[in-house]
Amino acid sequence: MSELFSNLSLGFGVVFQFMSWAPPWLGGYSIPIPVNILLCLIGALVGTLVGVLPGIGTIATVAMLLPITFGLPPVGALIMLAGIYYGAQYGGSTTSILVNIPGEASSVVTTLDGFQMAKQGRAGPALAIAAIGSFFAGCVATVLIAVLGAPLTKLALAFGPAEYFSLMVLGLIFAVVLAKGSVLKAIAMIVFGLLLSMVGSDIETGASRMAFNIPELADGLGFATVAMGVFGFAEIIRNLDAGAEMDRQLVQEKVTGLMPTRQDMKDSAPAILRGTVLGSILGILPGGGATIASFAAYTFEKKIAKDPSRFGRGAIEGVAAPESANNAAAQTSFIPLLTLGIPPNAVMALMVGAMTIHGIVPGPQVMQKQPELVWGMIASMWVGNLMLIIINLPLVGIWVRLLRVPYRLMYPSIVIFCAIGIYSVNNAPVDVVLAGVFGLVGYWLIKHDFEPAPMLLGMVLGPLMEENLRRALLISRGDWTVFLTRPLSAVLMAIAAALLVLAVLPALRKKRDEVFVESES
Amino acid sequence: MADTVGHSPDRSASTNRNSSAAFSVLVLALAPQIFELLWSIGTVFGASGRGPLQVLAGHGIALVTAFGSIGATTKTPVASDALLALIYSYPLLAVAILTLLVKPKAPQDYFGGVVLMGVALFALWASSDLQGMHGFSFGAGTAPRMFGVLLLVLGVAIALMGLLTDGPAFAHYAWRGPLFVALSILVFAVAIRPLGLVVSAFITFLVSALGTPETRWTETIIVGIALTVFCSFLFPYALGLPMQLWPRFLVQ
Repeated sequence: MSELFSNLSLGFGVVFQFMSWAPPWLGGYSIPIPVNILLCLIGALVGTLVGVLPGIGTIATVAMLLPITFGLPPVGALIMLAGIYYGAQYGGSTTSILVNIPGEASSVVTTLDGFQMAKQGRAGPALAIAAIGSFFAGCVATVLIAVLGAPLTKLALAFGPAEYFSLMVLGLIFAVVLAKGSVLKAIAMIVFGLLLSMVGSDIETGASRMAFNIPELADGLGFATVAMGVFGFAEIIRNLDAGAEMDRQLVQEKVTGLMPTRQDMKDSAPAILRGTVLGSILGILPGGGATIASFAAYTFEKKIAKDPSRFGRGAIEGVAAPESANNAAAQTSFIPLLTLGIPPNAVMALMVGAMTIHGIVPGPQVMQKQPELVWGMIASMWVGNLMLIIINLPLVGIWVRLLRVPYRLMYPSIVIFCAIGIYSVNNAPVDVVLAGVFGLVGYWLIKHDFEPAPMLLGMVLGPLMEENLRRALLISRGDWTVFLTRPLSAVLMAIAAALLVLAVLPALRKKRDEVFVESES
Repeated sequence: MADTVGHSPDRSASTNRNSSAAFSVLVLALAPQIFELLWSIGTVFGASGRGPLQVLAGHGIALVTAFGSIGATTKTPVASDALLALIYSYPLLAVAILTLLVKPKAPQDYFGGVVLMGVALFALWASSDLQGMHGFSFGAGTAPRMFGVLLLVLGVAIALMGLLTDGPAFAHYAWRGPLFVALSILVFAVAIRPLGLVVSAFITFLVSALGTPETRWTETIIVGIALTVFCSFLFPYALGLPMQLWPRFLVQ
């Protein structure tokens, strides 16, 4: 317990660090600036700004804004990226409620009841409940990360290569089970991602693999490049299909009366609580994440409600539960990343990319060697959530105005931003072309009903899986049964196998599809 | 979330469709060869590599004669072109013939699976020159081959599912959006080095704006200028990223 508090105080110490700034025109005086707080604030604001724009998901947002953190010290960069991440989550819910367009996949279900509330003139309470729920979930998740961080790190140190490999298999299977659509296709996407990760030099032998003597491919496909192509460009192209004039039922009335009534609070408090618990659990699971958490929370609320017919007609629980769940999941998904070094979803995979650019290899050793980095980031999440709730509610008007910008002007701007962003990662024009190619690939995938998110996860886990597989087999002298004879690894593999069987069973598949059908009704 | 086309397959049109579908699989089967041929046109203008005639002859002979080397002993090294024909083109040619004969119940899945098979076969060819297992330690080529085979199996499975179970029809593709967005990205990549940020960002904006018929040019140009100015301040100055602003010939 005392360890927990000392860790958290270390974190808050980092967040509230002041840097003295002595510009020459002040004549010897210096102004103390809370750098990290400022970065957190900027990150949260920019994240909200981009997250509000429909058609750019969390992944594209983080990928697009990655370059703006390059010039910063590692702690500052991570704090800002985390801010961007939950800012984007937050922005997504705002558009769901006000415009019926989910800014993010994770806030799709929020549109169902949130927009209905807005139509009834209760947009203010809906936004406020979403914010309060998110904040509460964020607080719980922050504490959870702090509590689970240290013990999981100890566990991670007991992991050998065989256990790591099994854990990653389990993570990928989770991603399959929790993805929407066909299990077979999701697995194929993962393997496609694994194959893509093989491009470039082999870590152990240095041999160039599938690079066709193209120097830019020698280092492998850049993760941010692929992510931007598949989630940024492809999404734009897809939206253009539907016609640039997307149907926007903007709520025109001014948002008045932010404060929810006492009855609202009473109704939503248990929903927030349930959403937080569900979201926290689904966030920690490898392969889980904010999207599935919000779907599950909504379905759960509807199931246990006394009068399910209220849902879809402006039930405040339908806003409170999924919004708390997606925020809780967004934050707890940092746990596997920080403690085990395994990204549980595509956004976290992007975080790995960002960390590597700053010279940090995520994993248990970071927690021990650079505690100020990890705990600073965790503490900043709490601060960031507080900022979002204070800043964003008054700013709602500005975000709404942003939505009035027509898509025909917005999408070329996004194209330019993405292009410059990718170019600035390596100053390589080839990266931009590759992102364009992956944009077309992503468009093709969408057209053939393949989910790109598992592909990205496979791409990130590929090198890690290969390395651990190699090592495990080298240690066991080529004995493949090592994954089943080591107890910890065997348990993980058994869970993975059981999950896969369950996912294929027709009865469960129906249940699984049911969760996703909500959004389409 | 219901993004893809879900109408029932149009049975009347599918008899005609099948030959064109088989043709597209045929093109897929020869895609690497065609790509290298197009690429080799660059050698005419001084780029290094095989010339178009060499490429044509090499692949032509390989495609015809590689069949004979199937029965040959595996010890003799096979040339890269012949391997491409053997590993990649022949299986897909077989699929093309199959496509001509059958009528997939879910064309969307069927072609999705076929293309994944193509990707897997191509990866298997691309990693065929890498070292495999020696003893019980992995060579550079072991993992790519493993994942390649796995993807091949999954691709076949998806294609079979598409062949046998009912599902969505072939997805409708638009051409305008993909074309101009891709073109604008290409323009940016080509222009950023010689022309600098200001010019290339503006041109990119205009080209990508062609992607929809709803573009109104006056407002597009005004927004384009504003955005270019914004980017020229944001990236090089506010974020301190090293980026050239103006065309190279003007700077010198």
